[in-house]
Amino acid sequence: MLALLGVTAAVLVAGAPWVLHAAAGGTGLAPPQNVGVDIIDDIFTLQWDRSREPPGAVAVSADYQVPGMVDIWTELPGCQHVTSATCDFSSLHPYAYEEVRLRVRAEDGGLTSPWHELDPFVPYQQARIGPPEVHLEAEDKAVAVSISLPGAADGMWQLDRGSFVYSVVIWGNATGPQAWNKTLRSRNPRIKVHGLLPETTYCVTAQARLLLHRNPAAFSPARCVSTPVESELPAPENVKVVLENQTYVLRWDYTWDNVTFQAQWLNSYLKRVPGRRPEKWAHVQGCEHTPRARCALPPGLLWREVYLRVRASHGARSSSWSEEWKFDAGRRATIPPPVVALKALDSHALHVAIGLRNQTELQHLLTYEVRFWENTTNTERTIVEQRTDFPVPGLRPRTVYCAAARALLAAGPRSQHSGPSNTACARTAAGGGPGARLAPGLTATLAALAALLVLCALAAAGKLAHYVFFPAGQPPSALGEYFPEEPLKNLLLPASVERTEPCCVIENADTRSAGGTRGDEDHKAYASQTSQDSGNYSIEDGSAGSGGQGGEELGPPGAGLVARSACGREVCVTRGPGPRGL
Amino acid sequence: MTSRCPLRLTILLCLAGAALSVNYGVLRFQLQSSTSACRELLRQLIRSPQYCLADTRDFQIPEEVKQPRQVQKEEAMVVMHEMLQQIFSLFCRNFSSPGWNETVMENLLEELHWQMDRLEEAMQQGEFPWESRTVHRLKTYYLGIIRYLKAKSYSRCAWTVVQVAILKNFSFLNGLIDALRD
Repeated sequence: MLALLGVTAAVLVAGAPWVLHAAAGGTGLAPPQNVGVDIIDDIFTLQWDRSREPPGAVAVSADYQVPGMVDIWTELPGCQHVTSATCDFSSLHPYAYEEVRLRVRAEDGGLTSPWHELDPFVPYQQARIGPPEVHLEAEDKAVAVSISLPGAADGMWQLDRGSFVYSVVIWGNATGPQAWNKTLRSRNPRIKVHGLLPETTYCVTAQARLLLHRNPAAFSPARCVSTPVESELPAPENVKVVLENQTYVLRWDYTWDNVTFQAQWLNSYLKRVPGRRPEKWAHVQGCEHTPRARCALPPGLLWREVYLRVRASHGARSSSWSEEWKFDAGRRATIPPPVVALKALDSHALHVAIGLRNQTELQHLLTYEVRFWENTTNTERTIVEQRTDFPVPGLRPRTVYCAAARALLAAGPRSQHSGPSNTACARTAAGGGPGARLAPGLTATLAALAALLVLCALAAAGKLAHYVFFPAGQPPSALGEYFPEEPLKNLLLPASVERTEPCCVIENADTRSAGGTRGDEDHKAYASQTSQDSGNYSIEDGSAGSGGQGGEELGPPGAGLVARSACGREVCVTRGPGPRGL
Repeated sequence: MTSRCPLRLTILLCLAGAALSVNYGVLRFQLQSSTSACRELLRQLIRSPQYCLADTRDFQIPEEVKQPRQVQKEEAMVVMHEMLQQIFSLFCRNFSSPGWNETVMENLLEELHWQMDRLEEAMQQGEFPWESRTVHRLKTYYLGIIRYLKAKSYSRCAWTVVQVAILKNFSFLNGLIDALRD
């Protein structure tokens, strides 16, 4: 039993290399360990752990494949039979944007290890950005930093030269509580740091990172420079552009007299242009040798986005350039100027209406900046509105106010806007003084009066309806006085017949005089009633027209006459208060 | 005058819109109007395409740029920025090429720069697909154009062929701009 175990163990031990051999695919060598790719700028490096064998004993070879371009495994140039722990495969740079596959194996004489395949990768994505080159130039209380991108012009970053973001760290050589440092970010490889001290050493380190990718980036080694003695002619300060009376004016501060100023401009897109060409600044027309610390910008600059800078000159000497001011008057070409109309609302308010000449999809995106001023005093205010119709309250009566607007397409810190609109003026209505204070009360009074009128009208309408539908039974007594003849009385029955009940007892002519008092009383009772009947009557007893004989057919006393009006209603014909004209 | 209910809704929407960092309606409008201007400027720049017809070449722009289907606005912005950047760099390469109207070229570069500024502003916030394969394929496309120009020694005909290809790029950009919706 023991012998059996011993033999088994011996076989196992002896067979170990064989086992390894079998496990290693028949070569006896293990593939390289910890294989990795390191790409910095244009240098592609493959690296692995050194083997434990004596150096030179085991070599490494690699193959590559680029699916779609190099479909079969191909020997990787620069990485064949390499005895060190790294190899350079930068020859694959044409495939920087493609997915690359690599495999490596160890070789020892005639023996080879199995292939070890790395995870596929895109070199551009794997690459680290090396430290850039930094060049410094000291100026009067300023340092100009110029950054050069790492890598060859046709290397890894050849298509990204305009997409870098530069970080610059600058620090003074003072230590302790006076230590100072500043970090700046810029899209432009030329950065000028202003506001420094004269005769001081400053050191700078810079890093270039890609705007839209997350590749790690290294900082450059520090470079140092000393600023000179302070110049007698300092650079202008606080350079800016302001809007004065609808004109853009470049202004700056300068403490010295007897100098002239020179302003220059640069198209801001030029700062994006990759390359080491010097920036092509041009003179600002009208600001070549101005003695004043201001100059109006020529119209040509207002349609562009530009950088502006100024320097002072005295005789042959010039100061260094000021800090640059980025100016963008807004791209007015794309937003049409609005149209403004003003009209009086009352003595204290005007109504502003803003329209766009071309009804574009722009309208709902725009905000309006309205300048509103009193014509005589020029006191001005600015109203920002998204509505195109709005009132401006709190104004003085009988005063002319004017307004002009521009449309803004607000988008981030720089809004785009149209040119100015027309100027519209209007006068507020008359009023003011005590009238102004009474205005609310007056409005209430008017409202109350209006309500009263409405009530009266309703009451009158009610009475009329009552009169029409429920006329009084008696004709006016006066009727008999003037028209004693029966037939005519019938004719003179007024259009506005009054009745007290739907169909009523009517006095006939014979009983009229006896009931005259009563008729009067009725008359008085019905005096205020009105009728809306059309007044065209025909007597149903067959007589029509003037009805001269109608009276004889009146019938016995107490009987009523029923007439039908032209509108077809039955009405009781009574002797009401006097004939009324139609 | 509008009735009160839509007015309240409009105010709410405006407030909500103001709370979001990017107004895509404004961005779309700005990019569309600028792309239109670029197309017009490029048309003015292209001279005598007829006799250069023999040189026409398909540089094979990635399919997903030609027909952006269902693309997320973040990817659209990254792709657009790449295209604008490459077109800008391309035209900067031989800026003072004889025969080119310098004013037109300046205006074109200004427009491209302005569009990139607008996009970069909008991309200061949010998550973007930085490792987009489309961007890699676009780089290969533009590298192909640069190699073609070099091989043809930046001849006038070669430039004309490239300008015609870039004109089509602006049409593709319009398709991507449409993807910028909330």
